[in-house]
Amino acid sequence: MKPGLRIDTLRVRRFGHFSDLTLELGPGLHLLYGPNEAGKSTLLAFLRAVLFGFEKRGSPERYAPPEDDAPFGGELRLSTGMGPLLVRRMAAPKGRKSETLTVLGPNGDAVSEERLKDARGHVTRELFFDVFAFRLEELAGFEQLTEERGASEALVAASMRGARRLPEAMSSLRKNAEQLYKPNGSNPELNVKLRELEEVQAQLREVGNRPALYFSKRERLESLGVELGGLDSRLREDGLELERLARLESALGDVSSLATTRAELESLPSLKTFPEGGEARLEDALQRSRTHRGNVARLAEQLSFTEAELERLSAPSPVRGREEALRAAVAAYSERSELVRALPARRAALGMKRRQVESALEELGLGVDGPGLVALDLSAGARAGLEALSSRLDVEETGRREVGGALARARSERERVEGVLARTELELAELPDVRPAQVRQQQAGLARMRVARADLERLGEQKMEARRRIDGLRGPVTELPSSSSPVIPVWLVPVAAAVAVTLAVAAWLLGGTVVGVLGLVGGLVLTGLLEFARRKVESARDAERGAWEAQQQSRKQEEERLRVELAGYVAREELARRELLASATEAGLSPAATSSDMAARESALAEALEQAGRRESLSRERDTLRSTHDLALRDERQADELLRGHEARHASLSTELTACLSARCFPVGLPAQAALALWRDASALRQRWQDLVADEAALSADEAACADVVSRLRALATDVAPGATRLSEDSNLPRMEHERGSANASSKESSTASSESMDLVVMRVNAALETAREQETERRAAEERRRELREEKARLDELCRTEEASLSALLAEGGGGDEETFRRRAVQAHRYAELTHRARELAHRIEARTGLSDTEAREALRALGGEEGLRTVLSQVRARHAEAQEKSKEVLTEQGATRNQLEQWENDDLLARLRIQEETLRAKVAELATRYAEDKLALALLGRARRRFEEEQQPRVVQLASEHFALLTEGRYRRVFIPAGDERELRVSDGERDWSAAQLSRGTREQLYLAFRLAVVRDFGETRSALPLIVDDVLVNFDPGRARSAIQLLAQLAEHQQVIAFTCHPWLRELFEAEGAQTQTLESRDSAATLRAV
Amino acid sequence: MHFKFVHAADLHLDTPFRGVAAQGPLLGRFQESTFRALSRIVDLCLRERVAFLLLAGDLFEVKDRSVRARLVLRRELGRLHDAGIESFIVHGNHDPLSGDTGTLGLPSSVKVFGPDWEEAEVRREGRRLCRVQGISYPDVEVRDDLSARFRRTGDGFSVGLLHANLGGAEGHANYAPCTPAGLGSRGLDYWALGHVHTRSELMLPGGGVAVYPGNPQGRHALETGERGCVLVEVEDGGMRRRFVPVDTVRWHRLEVSLTGVATLDALLGAVGEVVDVACARELDGHAVRLVLTGRGPLHRELARPGALVQLEADLRARLAQGHPPVLLESLRDGSRPELDWEALQAEGGFARTLLEEARSLKEDPVALARLWEQEALGSLGQRLKRLGVDVLEVPRMEWVSRASLLGVEALHEEEEGA
Repeated sequence: MKPGLRIDTLRVRRFGHFSDLTLELGPGLHLLYGPNEAGKSTLLAFLRAVLFGFEKRGSPERYAPPEDDAPFGGELRLSTGMGPLLVRRMAAPKGRKSETLTVLGPNGDAVSEERLKDARGHVTRELFFDVFAFRLEELAGFEQLTEERGASEALVAASMRGARRLPEAMSSLRKNAEQLYKPNGSNPELNVKLRELEEVQAQLREVGNRPALYFSKRERLESLGVELGGLDSRLREDGLELERLARLESALGDVSSLATTRAELESLPSLKTFPEGGEARLEDALQRSRTHRGNVARLAEQLSFTEAELERLSAPSPVRGREEALRAAVAAYSERSELVRALPARRAALGMKRRQVESALEELGLGVDGPGLVALDLSAGARAGLEALSSRLDVEETGRREVGGALARARSERERVEGVLARTELELAELPDVRPAQVRQQQAGLARMRVARADLERLGEQKMEARRRIDGLRGPVTELPSSSSPVIPVWLVPVAAAVAVTLAVAAWLLGGTVVGVLGLVGGLVLTGLLEFARRKVESARDAERGAWEAQQQSRKQEEERLRVELAGYVAREELARRELLASATEAGLSPAATSSDMAARESALAEALEQAGRRESLSRERDTLRSTHDLALRDERQADELLRGHEARHASLSTELTACLSARCFPVGLPAQAALALWRDASALRQRWQDLVADEAALSADEAACADVVSRLRALATDVAPGATRLSEDSNLPRMEHERGSANASSKESSTASSESMDLVVMRVNAALETAREQETERRAAEERRRELREEKARLDELCRTEEASLSALLAEGGGGDEETFRRRAVQAHRYAELTHRARELAHRIEARTGLSDTEAREALRALGGEEGLRTVLSQVRARHAEAQEKSKEVLTEQGATRNQLEQWENDDLLARLRIQEETLRAKVAELATRYAEDKLALALLGRARRRFEEEQQPRVVQLASEHFALLTEGRYRRVFIPAGDERELRVSDGERDWSAAQLSRGTREQLYLAFRLAVVRDFGETRSALPLIVDDVLVNFDPGRARSAIQLLAQLAEHQQVIAFTCHPWLRELFEAEGAQTQTLESRDSAATLRAV
Repeated sequence: MHFKFVHAADLHLDTPFRGVAAQGPLLGRFQESTFRALSRIVDLCLRERVAFLLLAGDLFEVKDRSVRARLVLRRELGRLHDAGIESFIVHGNHDPLSGDTGTLGLPSSVKVFGPDWEEAEVRREGRRLCRVQGISYPDVEVRDDLSARFRRTGDGFSVGLLHANLGGAEGHANYAPCTPAGLGSRGLDYWALGHVHTRSELMLPGGGVAVYPGNPQGRHALETGERGCVLVEVEDGGMRRRFVPVDTVRWHRLEVSLTGVATLDALLGAVGEVVDVACARELDGHAVRLVLTGRGPLHRELARPGALVQLEADLRARLAQGHPPVLLESLRDGSRPELDWEALQAEGGFARTLLEEARSLKEDPVALARLWEQEALGSLGQRLKRLGVDVLEVPRMEWVSRASLLGVEALHEEEEGA
């Protein structure tokens, strides 16, 4: 049996006619007895209301107190599997949320309503009202239990583990499925999507088999192309024919005019051989003859004039024959004229330069003139020698200066070291001569002396302590507890035994055997007790003595140990004294020195140690200084030697320099640098002198060349132009040669004048040369002209002769011997040519228009039946051509449209979109359908599982119901069952035949229903939760026997779960009480609902 | 003798992609992807200088729907033709021969096998490289074992080209069913199969090999991971096979655990992380189906009506802007109440009865079929099939399992919520 719910206390605040009613209930079977209107049904309603909530307003079951507006309700104290609970439910008569529920836990604190639900075993209100708390009139209705969606599912749910939410789950799944799809619906999602999919597919069907259409269109396009090709070729043929005919038509006029022209031509004599343009040619020939004759006369005249001119030009001239020599002389002069003019200036400049060089030479002060200077050895080698000398001198000088500085430094260093050394010696002399090791040894002695003294003191204290402890041990020795005499003497025991025996004998004698034996036994027992007590005391005393002896023993051992310890202390003290004496000697103190002496000695030793250290460091420093001093002395000597070496080398170099200078006429004693500078000046001057001499040589060479040229020119000029010679007689040119080298003003002027007169001569010679050349040119031109005129005359004579011959030939060609005949025939020939030309032109035009020769054209025309025939054929061909063009246009249009359609299909977005929509919708539909199928399958599975569960679970309930019903009917009916199938009907059987519930009498039917309910209650209690059973006078239709059985059943049930029954019938009350029910009596309403427990 | 060939199947040219919005920047990339996959196969053929290309059926998604698909196939095979590479084609259940009159005008180097067994030879410089045998589907539904008509006709390397369901692969219509033993008994060296979209290889008894290259471009969220074709190199009787991915957009199914994710921002972060890791490859695009798993603080918030849809829209916009762009196909809540099945079984009670009922139903197809009709699912299935959706065509066992889980979850919902 599962832990469940039990009502311990019922407290009505206000409910129905009750107010402030308290009932104590508890485990087991309870009967609430009361007359009609005592409020039994009200209490049932109260229990239902507090556990599950009040009935709706207006319901008679609500039991709202009628009189006022105060809240009503009450509370129950419950025992549950999870501890006690107090459930209080109150309702206000008015207001929207009128009901309040309070659930309090074991500690009086509010807990969740869930606790109450848990305690109720999650049984539904309906199931509880139907099965656990019912009235007589409710007992009769089993229909509710068998209803498909009502209590049956709830019953199953309530009695099934894990199926509590079955109704909700099924309804939720049903709702989900209906939202997804209804076979005939239109709004659920899947229906909508299916419709959309159908629409899209309809659109796709409209589009049709697109590739098939596409490829058939493509074929059509190709056939159109072929057709168009055929049409094109036909059009081309027709066009050609049309063109030919049109041309023929346009050439019709020309063909007829050609015929008339040909006829006229036939009438004329053959003049094909008549010279073309004969008349004009005749006139031309006559005219040309005349012109030639005039030209010949004019030429003869020009020829005579030219010959006279030639004669005049052939006169002789003086220049002729000498032109070449004259031109050479003039060219030579003009080549040198600039030089001649510049000569005087150059001479003056040279003089000036010479004077400058000579004065510079004097300033140099070497005592030599120009040539002397040139003779001096101023070569680069000598100069390099001098430079080397100078640099070596410099080096020696620098070295000497450096060595001097080093010597001074070495000397000062030596002096400084000597001073420091002296100071150190002085300080060292002041310090006492003590070594630090000695001082340290004394310090160590002092420290050991201190330790020895401290040891002595400690040992003294320890010795004292040891002595004190020995004295302590020797102190009062506890006495052995006396009472050496025993508490109870040994003899007392036999005496007591004897007394007991005596008394026993006396008793035997006086009282008989029994008393005697009893007395003897009692006496002996007492004696035994006495002996036992004595032994106890003895053993306690022995133990005490043993303990005392042990204590004494340990004390002796302790004392012995302390004595040994004391002897050890004395020995160690002796050692310490010896140590003290030795260390005092070492420290230089008497052993009896006080600690202040020792402190003074210690500070003195510290000072001595410091001084000894100082002395040691000073002596080390002195040694160092001495070695430094030696070093400084050595340095000084080395510097001194170096200085002397430098000075010797310097003297030898100075001597060398002096020798070198005197060898070059340089002032002796000149410093090397100055001598170098003088060297440079002298060599520069020597260069200038050499340049000057070279310039003078060049000038005299130039003057000689110029004089030669001038004299040659003058000689030639006298022959050619006498005036020119005269002019140059003043020339002073010969004098120039004598005065060369010493320039002065007069010679300069004369030379200028001479050069000017020479220019004049040259000019005249040139003029004469020019005149001679011009005359020569003129003569040559005249000769040329004469030759040309002669040639021209010969040519013209030849021309005249040719012209005559051609004229006579022309006349002969014209067919007549004379001019008259020629002119007449010429007119006829003109007409002939005109006609021929026209005929040819017409033939050309025909050919141009028709592409045929005139004869062919005529043939063609004849073939077509002449002009009339041509026009008929032409109109026929035209019509045919226009028709073909029309057809071609149509085909082209169709071709374009087809091509467009194909392109459109190649890139069709609509189709792609539709296909995506289709695919998406299919996916969506598949998903929704899957969900729908799952929901439906889940629903079906739940239904099947429920039926199976019922079938498997039912036997327990039905079996219990059978047992109960058999008990209730005292074995009349044996079995209750529910037939398989969906018909949920309860049937009973007596083993031979069976009946439906409706076939039973009222009482038996109620017994059946009660039996079934009790079965459910038991099963529920076993599997879920033991809930209280509350029955309101359900046994009234039972006969007393069956009522007793029923109450026995209730009592059995009450062993496991609480049973509360109401009745108003005294005979039932008796039966209940006979089964051990705890009865409480409800007074009638008038007695103000007081309660009397029995 | 050394030669190479490429084996591809299930091109499904111009597949309409579901889950891709009809408007949007990614649509173009997805719609182009099947064509681009074919182009890349052809590029591979040209690059590797293969001797021939095998296409094992289902070249078109729907044969009579897409003009472009046909034109593109013609163009691409034309490229192979120009390079002197032959192509062999069989048609499958998506593009059977029925009604096709060959108006497509493929290049002359393309051999399309007819509805009867045929054998063709590949020759180079007068020598025979290989024999290729094949059969096309005459109609959509071919229930015969077509492989039984194949046979070895001589020595040398022999290839069987067939669109077939080997060993009754789940999730694919059972057309031209065949068995490994059956294929092995035909004595061919290489079975170039199509129909199953997942790449696989099976060594056959007798030494041959049967290869499904898978489809070269994943088309929906169930076709995840890299897709491509198989490059086969034959040398002196030996054979090397290499898978070459050619897909340009890739599908992923990604799970994001809600466990320990406290805020929506954190969830977005976690999603971003998972997506970044999975979609790192530089492709034209990625598409993901996100499944939220586990239980966490956010579960209740996401369970509110509309919350998941809003989150999905937000994520979709966010992911589409990434580089490479990612298409969010859908966001699904795969989080389940954590039920202790063992305990439910052991505890007994109604849940156990329910599970037992489901098990007995699964073991009894007749009862399931009866229930199927009883719940009018059969008629709905027929209606769906007419619309081209065969999801409810036959009752499937796994639905019974899922329904039983659904039932158990419904029964425990309150306890979960409490």
